[in-house]
Amino acid sequence: MQVLTFLFKRFGWMIITVWIVFTVSFFLMRQIPGGPLNGERVLSEAVRARLEARYNLDAPISEQYFTHLWNTVRLDFGPSFKMQDFTVNEVLAQGFPVSAALGILGMVFAITIGMTSGVVSAVRRNSVYDYSFMLLATLGIAIPNFVLAAMLIVIFVFNLQMFPAAGWGDISQIILPAFCLGAPFAGYIARLTRTGMLEVLGNDYIRTAYAKGLSPRTVVLKHGLRGALLPVVSYLGPAIAGILTGSLVLERIFVIPGMGSHFIEAAIQRDYTLAMGALLTYTVLLFVMNTLVDLAYSIIDPRVKLE
Amino acid sequence: MFIAGFAVVWAVNLGTLPPAEFVFNNGTEVKTIDPAKATGVPEGRVINALYEGLLRSVPDGEPDELGRTPTKPKPVAMADSYQVSDDGTVYTFHIREDAKWSNGDSVTAIDFAWSWMRFLHPETASEYNYQLFYAKNASKFALVDLHEGDPVEVEMKDRPVAGQMFPRGTVRRGSLLALIQPPAEDSHTQDDGHGHGGSGISGTSIFVVEFDDESEKTIQAFTTQSLDDEGIQALVKSYQGMHDLSELSSVEHVLFDFQHVGIKALSTHEFEVTLNSPTPYFPELVAFYPLHPVHRLSLEEHGDREFTKPGKIVGNGPFLLKERRIRDRLRLVKNEMYWNAPNVKLKSVDVLAIQSETTSLNMYLNGQLDWDTKPPNTLIPLLKERDDFVSTPFLACYFYRVNTSKPPLDNPLVRKALNMAIDKQTIVDSIVKGGQVPARSFVPPGMNGYQSGYCGEYDVEQAKRLLAEAGYPNGKGLPTIEILYNTADSHRDIAEVIQQDWKKNLGVDVSLRNLEWGTFLDTLRVGDYMVSRSGWIGDYADPNTFLDMFVTDGPNNQTKWSNSLYDEGIEKAKYESDPVRRMAIFKEMEQTLMDEQPIIPIYFYVSLNMVNSRVKGFTANLQDVHPLHLLSLDSEGAEP
Amino acid sequence: MSIADQQPSELERLTKILREAHDVQGVSLWADAWKRLKRNRAAMCSLWILSIIVLLAILTPALPLQSPIYQDVKNRELLPPQWDSFELDISAYDEETRRLEAEALAIKAQDGEQYIKLLALITAREQTHPIKLYWNDPGMIVTAMIELRLALFGDYCIPSIFGTDKLGRDVFSRVFWGSRVSLACGFIATFVSLMIGVSYGAISGYMGGWVDNIMMRTVDVFYSIPFIFIVIFIMSFLSSPGIRESLAEYEIDQIHVFFLLIGAIYWLTMARVVRGQVISLKNEQFIEAARTIGATRMQIVFRHLVPNVMGIVIVYLTLTIPAVIRFEAFLSFLGMGVNAPDISWGLLVNEGVQVITIIKSYWWMIAFSGLALAMTLFALNFLGDGVRDALDPKLKNK
Repeated sequence: MQVLTFLFKRFGWMIITVWIVFTVSFFLMRQIPGGPLNGERVLSEAVRARLEARYNLDAPISEQYFTHLWNTVRLDFGPSFKMQDFTVNEVLAQGFPVSAALGILGMVFAITIGMTSGVVSAVRRNSVYDYSFMLLATLGIAIPNFVLAAMLIVIFVFNLQMFPAAGWGDISQIILPAFCLGAPFAGYIARLTRTGMLEVLGNDYIRTAYAKGLSPRTVVLKHGLRGALLPVVSYLGPAIAGILTGSLVLERIFVIPGMGSHFIEAAIQRDYTLAMGALLTYTVLLFVMNTLVDLAYSIIDPRVKLE
Repeated sequence: MFIAGFAVVWAVNLGTLPPAEFVFNNGTEVKTIDPAKATGVPEGRVINALYEGLLRSVPDGEPDELGRTPTKPKPVAMADSYQVSDDGTVYTFHIREDAKWSNGDSVTAIDFAWSWMRFLHPETASEYNYQLFYAKNASKFALVDLHEGDPVEVEMKDRPVAGQMFPRGTVRRGSLLALIQPPAEDSHTQDDGHGHGGSGISGTSIFVVEFDDESEKTIQAFTTQSLDDEGIQALVKSYQGMHDLSELSSVEHVLFDFQHVGIKALSTHEFEVTLNSPTPYFPELVAFYPLHPVHRLSLEEHGDREFTKPGKIVGNGPFLLKERRIRDRLRLVKNEMYWNAPNVKLKSVDVLAIQSETTSLNMYLNGQLDWDTKPPNTLIPLLKERDDFVSTPFLACYFYRVNTSKPPLDNPLVRKALNMAIDKQTIVDSIVKGGQVPARSFVPPGMNGYQSGYCGEYDVEQAKRLLAEAGYPNGKGLPTIEILYNTADSHRDIAEVIQQDWKKNLGVDVSLRNLEWGTFLDTLRVGDYMVSRSGWIGDYADPNTFLDMFVTDGPNNQTKWSNSLYDEGIEKAKYESDPVRRMAIFKEMEQTLMDEQPIIPIYFYVSLNMVNSRVKGFTANLQDVHPLHLLSLDSEGAEP
Repeated sequence: MSIADQQPSELERLTKILREAHDVQGVSLWADAWKRLKRNRAAMCSLWILSIIVLLAILTPALPLQSPIYQDVKNRELLPPQWDSFELDISAYDEETRRLEAEALAIKAQDGEQYIKLLALITAREQTHPIKLYWNDPGMIVTAMIELRLALFGDYCIPSIFGTDKLGRDVFSRVFWGSRVSLACGFIATFVSLMIGVSYGAISGYMGGWVDNIMMRTVDVFYSIPFIFIVIFIMSFLSSPGIRESLAEYEIDQIHVFFLLIGAIYWLTMARVVRGQVISLKNEQFIEAARTIGATRMQIVFRHLVPNVMGIVIVYLTLTIPAVIRFEAFLSFLGMGVNAPDISWGLLVNEGVQVITIIKSYWWMIAFSGLALAMTLFALNFLGDGVRDALDPKLKNK
């Protein structure tokens, strides 16, 4: 019941957020010089009027607003201005799975690499492993992902020729970008895991556990990891937002046809409808992800109350 | 974790597609593959593979001294022959008997007449439609340029599929008795005879049309607006003429009757086009991709946008669209129904949309691409050494527009000084590096029988003198000049070099402003710039495609420059049938352009292609066109 | 009498105790933190590195560097790192001008016409002085520093030890000049976010109730908006003609707005953190005390609450600065950062990324700017961690 109320409340907030984002961006976009109808050649008045009519740009702005809002409510974002053969829904439907795959794999990398090295660091505190892992973690956090991508391309694509330079469609093409995407978050997660574990491992009940004769492995994995999990889970919210932004750059470097490329291109080319569609999708995505993280948090730590 | 793994596998699987036989980078995502709506070179490459016009521009003849094969529009396409009337105004095309659509239907003259009608139709809003304005009355149809007494067609509001342009509603043909518009204010200017921009009927208007149906004549009044429209109601109220407006009805369109446009299907295989004046380059236009036909039935069934989707698209070109992934690739496969299918060698082609030049080159060098259309400038000296680098000059000019309405640039002396103070040779040698030629004229060399104009060499002293003459010795008193360019590395590099040239040589302060393409175009159009980077690729091999840009208020002029002698000259050349005299007129006009310098030519482009050595049939030519169906792969010596 | 005598001493005693308490408290918090920080070797090392970087960035115009913007495409394009000496031609130019002046002076009496001609030539030479070519429109302080540099080092320049770029400009000098924009961006934008975030969080936390609720929900809403979009929009909005001109009237550069914009984005976390602290502090006795002596709400918030959350604010500050610098680089990579001829590290890295290919990698184009960026961010991160551990051990690594 509590969960339901929570979800219901969140849903309400999401609607408000999306509405605000919609309204603000709708009016902002129409302020930008350079409408969507600028081809390479200047359009004659008649052609321009026809095109404006086709895209409903000639109606009064309030009418455009409500038409657009109603269509958006029905999840119909209309035709894309710049890719005339597609509707926004089709573009997003094509881009989303690609970005999702990249993002999920990036996240998987971040969590596995981050937590493993964090656990090792915590267990072997102040050892060479600890120092080098923490150094690497800080490096991963500090270096911008496009610099990292450039370095990895030089090493793995040019010198070792292990991966293709760019593109999409093959499992070998997803590894490098996903790794670059996950790297900074792996760094954070490693540090969070390490600290969390150290805190837990210092507790009395761990000593009790050892005293009971449990093997170190069980103690570390069963009790220690539990303590490390909380900060990591609470970090997932910002991490997901970061993964979404990060994929903008990486999709560009590795020429991946995901939502990130569509979004950036749309904004640059003033593709009103597509930019709006992508923006709203991102907003909803962030909201849903954050809600899920909060839910997960409350499951792991029953002391946390959902509100 | 399992879910994550599963999702990854699922998403990757969704995108797995074994690479095609031939892969090339098209440079950007194509905006559309509907011939009537497309503009741009990348779109052209794809449309020329999917569709075929009456003629095709193909490399033909002996290479010139630079190794360039001339391209000629030839009846090796849907038409197998054509005749031109003696006065050069009537073209009759014979469509080959074995021409087929990919679904097996025959390609007929009626298909062409219908497709060209759609291309010209104002509701299609084709940006390229002026290319057909050479045909008689075509501009009247496209621009809704109606006058009393004109034959008209009225399309009723009974379209079978709501919100879809085709199939059209019932069309009735009659003649326009009266055109009723509110007085004064929005007076509509007459067509300037130029064709490009022009103006049609806009704003509130009522059409009174007389129909001559069999026995009796009927007169009816129509409007394309809603009857509730305030303007219309006011107009009806204030109208005091002789016609009865009580039964006014609202219709989709009132247009110039297409049956009176010089585009006709004489029979299934005879297609006739009547022109306003002899247009020597008309065959080039016919071969141009916007005039390729589309398949009527599939378009009417699926609608204006859906009909281009893989699985639904019906084409008549050498290839078929199998799959299309946005910003990734188009997968083309050989069309077995194509009339010349036995000679099409490639079985499948991937058209990629990679914007980054470096990435594209890396993929080429990695063996992921067979043809790279734009290697980065920095590396060209290294690439030039390689056998797979194919480069020749082609018909395109990189130039700066100067806004002649902004002081001090309204002074031709200043503009000339700016031109002469640019070290174009260095730009060519050290920035673009591909063997481009410094431009001393606007029209590139290589047009048959044409001698270009001349705007002077790099001459600092002369430039200084001109500037002093204009009243700005050593740049004193000159305001900061701003160079506008659209965001791209090479544009920025060139702008920075020119900035330094002007500052060093003339003492002029220069600032740079870059804008994204969309904003850039708009800024250019409203004239809010001083100097702006531009480029122009000839649409056909005739000086006209370059020179008619700069007629007064031409849609691509954008410099506010106006010279009535120039306007007259360009107009005169249109009707000049003697090629030698015609070229002489053009030359004189170009010299005027160069003397007044509303534009500063920088260099002539060269085509830059990296082509894998296993690709055969790739010939360097004047228009940098490389039809995919002429390419083949060397089955042996395949080199990764 | 005796009572009267005793009273001041009692007051004195209390004052003294209070002062001592105050002193001890004040000293122990910050001094303690400093002591802890000093023990952290990595953080101290970072602090040194950062100090040097910042110092060099400030002094850049006075260092014997080549011009960051002068191009020599013909002769110096994409040269690899080298030690060949390089000299400016300014003193020769000045020499020539001085010679002309002397000549003019000499003939002033005899040949008036020639004299005027020479004077015109001299003015013209000032107009085209190489200083104007070599440095882009420097402000007053920068001009003074450049003059100092010319006086100190003359035409001598540090050789192109980082190589040159594709327009023949010295990468070494560009990395130095780029540091000015990147660091300024990091500090100014962070400062902006600090101002907004602290005021917002403090007010929200102190007010509580529905005000707090609305303010925090607004923050939540902002959290769900992908920022990149807002930045793209505002950048292009600013470059539109009308707005650009009106900005120029107030002498506001696009780059200033850019700083503000980034700053305006990073205040959200700060606001949340400050709010949390304020809520836990606002029921403490000293606030109660301030309220009883009649302090206004604003006074309580800004005079009593804000100083007490400074510790945590500084911790977040050290974490925000690298984030902002990285964000600027990110925008420059997407082509939406600073405009030429301004230089930032992000822009330099972007230029470097454009030229790494299989057949030839101009590694120096990316290596040095990337290294400078990474080193700074790295050091800032370490320092941030150190400061956090030092100021608030409870927060360690969170």
